[in-house]
This record gives sequence, C-alpha cells and structure tokens, in this order.
Amino acid sequence: MKESVFIVHRSEIIRKGLSLILQEYFKMEITQLTTASDLSSFTGITNSIMILMLDAQAEINQKAIDLLKKNNEVALVAICQDEEEAHQAPVFDYQLTLYASPVQIQKLIQIIRQSGGKPKNAMVENGELTSREKEVIKLIALGLANKEIADKLFISIHTVISHRKNLTEKLGIKSISGLTVYAIMNNLLDIQDINPEELI
Amino acid sequence: MELFRKEDKMSSLINRNYNLLPVINRFGIRLGFKEKTIGEVCQEKQINTDFFLAIVNTYTDDSYFPEAEFLSFSPILLIDYLKNTHKYYIQYVLPKIERLLNEVLESCTDNCSSLKMINSFYQKYKAELLLHLKLEDEKVFPYIIELYKNKKLSAEGSFIEVIENEHTNVEVKLSDLENLIIRHLSPNYDDNAMNEFLTALLQFENDLNDHARIEDHILITQVIEFEKELKK
Repeated sequence: MKESVFIVHRSEIIRKGLSLILQEYFKMEITQLTTASDLSSFTGITNSIMILMLDAQAEINQKAIDLLKKNNEVALVAICQDEEEAHQAPVFDYQLTLYASPVQIQKLIQIIRQSGGKPKNAMVENGELTSREKEVIKLIALGLANKEIADKLFISIHTVISHRKNLTEKLGIKSISGLTVYAIMNNLLDIQDINPEELI
Repeated sequence: MELFRKEDKMSSLINRNYNLLPVINRFGIRLGFKEKTIGEVCQEKQINTDFFLAIVNTYTDDSYFPEAEFLSFSPILLIDYLKNTHKYYIQYVLPKIERLLNEVLESCTDNCSSLKMINSFYQKYKAELLLHLKLEDEKVFPYIIELYKNKKLSAEGSFIEVIENEHTNVEVKLSDLENLIIRHLSPNYDDNAMNEFLTALLQFENDLNDHARIEDHILITQVIEFEKELKK
C-alpha cells in the first residue's frame, strides 16, 4: 500500500520541523497544509495508508476525512500542545505532543504502520485480534494501567478503554489475569516477562 | 418448571431435578424415601418444611423469588444452610474438580505449557474463592448472627453491601476460565478427561449462581431491611 503523510498546522515552524524530523528517519511523501479545509483537494486519493497529523486545536474537516476513510486506511494523529490536551482529544487515533522526542515520533510512525494496511472489518468478523489490540493486551498483561497504556501507544484513554471493551467481547475474557493467560498462551508475551504469582 | 409442594413425593423431587441431590443432603436428608412426601420427611428430620421448599424451588426455577416465605424464617436458618453449602464446596467439590484437572494435565503428552497456564489460573481462582468463602464464614455470618441476637447496630456500621461486589469478581474468573478452555486452548489433552473436568466446572458454576442468588437476593436483602428497621 502506498503511504502518504499530511501535516496540517497553522504554524510553519511546527510543519517544517515535524516534516524534517520524519524525513530524517523515514522515506515518506509528506504534504504540508496550513488548514484542514485544504484536505478537500486530496479526497481523490485511494488505496493508501494516510497518516494525517492535525492541529488538535483547529477545525479538523470531518467531511474530507470521512471521504478519505472510505478508500484508505486513515490514521488520525493529534498534534497537541501538552499532555493534558492530548487526553482531551478522543476523536483522534493517536496523540503527539510538541515536546515528543524524535524517538517517540519514530515509534509512533512504526506503530501506525504495524496496525495499518489490513482490512479491519474482516478481522472483527472472525474474532481475530488486530495488531493494535495485541499491543494493548500485552500491556494489560504486563500490569499497566489505562493511562500508562495510552501514553505508551500514543492514544487517548478513551481509545484504550474501547480497545479493552472489544478485547473482552472478542475473547469472552474479562479479568486481567484471564487476559494475561490468553496473551501467554498465544505467545504475545513471554511468561518470563511477568510475575505469575502476582498477575495470574 | 412447576414448583414443588409439601404434598409431593420426596422421590419425585429427585426424579425431576437430580441437581437437588447435594441440596437435600445438606439438610441431612438421604435417599431411600419409599412413598414419603416432602412434608413427612421434613417433619421426621425436624426441618422447617416451608424453608426446605423455598430452597429447593430457588434451585429449580431461576425466576422463583420466595420473598414472603423467606421473610418468615430466621436468617439463622439460612446461614446454617449456607455454611453447610460452603463446607460441601470446600471439602468435596473443589478437591473433585482439582483431581479431574490433574487427570487432564496428566493426559497431555507434549506442548503442555498452555495447559499449565490454565492450571495456574484455576489455582488463582480457587484461592480467591476460598478467601471469599472464609470472609463470609468468619466475618459476614457472625456479624448477622450478632445483629439478630442483640438487635443493635454495631459501632463500625454495616459491611453487608461489600459482598455483592465480591461475588461478581469471583464469578468473572470462573467464566474466564471456561472461555479460555472452550475457545482458546489448543486441545493437547485426552477428550474424555477434559469433558469430565469441564462438566464438573460448569455444574459448579450453576450451583454457585444459585447459591449467590440466595445470599444476595434473600439473605442480604433481609439483613439490609433489618438494619434499616434498627436505625429508626
């Protein structure tokens, strides 16, 4: 799948800065836009992994995003001023704060690439876990709280809770220790990573 | 299902619902009833017949809620019964389930690590259940007995409402255990051994649900009402 990145922000410093950091690590096509309304010109794109990095404080142009989602795998990343704002942006799939380190930015892109590019609906039907859900179950098994999982995966707490709900529905397992057993049984986690006395 | 009445034959009780076998044992009733009715057997054994009927009907019909009947017995009677049930779980059912699980484990020849995880999870569940039963036997039941004896609220207040939450936690683990086996475990075991283990586990779950219903809806409701009376 083709991959395209859009950085939409009113600040040129942020646009160019983020673009430079990304290009240092990844070979990717990056489009910089001042406002989300300009996204409407790109709705003809199909069959791509689209990473849209948007100013969390600006209008997001939901209409263009909905159109893009029909024919593409779209990951919405909020560019936030700080941690606090990051947790108040539930419409986004991922959060990035202005103070994120280059390593964190790099990791974020890797995470998006891992979870993208696969037809999501088909997986819901056969009860298989998405790669993102596998990440979440692994962190649950390691004993992390929702807030810690959110920070680690660059997603909001709301998203973590919704992943947990889906996990429980798909697997029929509610308790943390039950999920841990599932994770170990399916090699999502090594038994050495946990303290069996405590978590199972 | 039709409810039992005291004119019914004691034998018809077991013919209709064999899950009641351990229930009647807890009252000290054993097989070999001949033609005796429920009322006659209860009288012989000095058991409160209405109480006995309320209990067996609760197990027989999920929607049966013997409010009026239960409120006429002393909760002490109910507590005696519940304690006997706990003893039956601890001394008979749990060891039996564990023995069946060991047989499953022994039947596994290779790649048994998942099955061992299931075993650890069961041990964790068992430990939690035992703790819960202990809390009821050593704290909750004595509290209720004292409350009815002294007819006075204790200074520390009530901790009755805590239990219902506890029940849910223990129930969730048991249902997780079943789903792990039924849906997610790859079958590296002898089928007959697993079927016996799982059947025992599912039966235990049913029994526990009925037991919890008696505790939550009948005993606890009754005690909360009584506490309200005392506060007046």
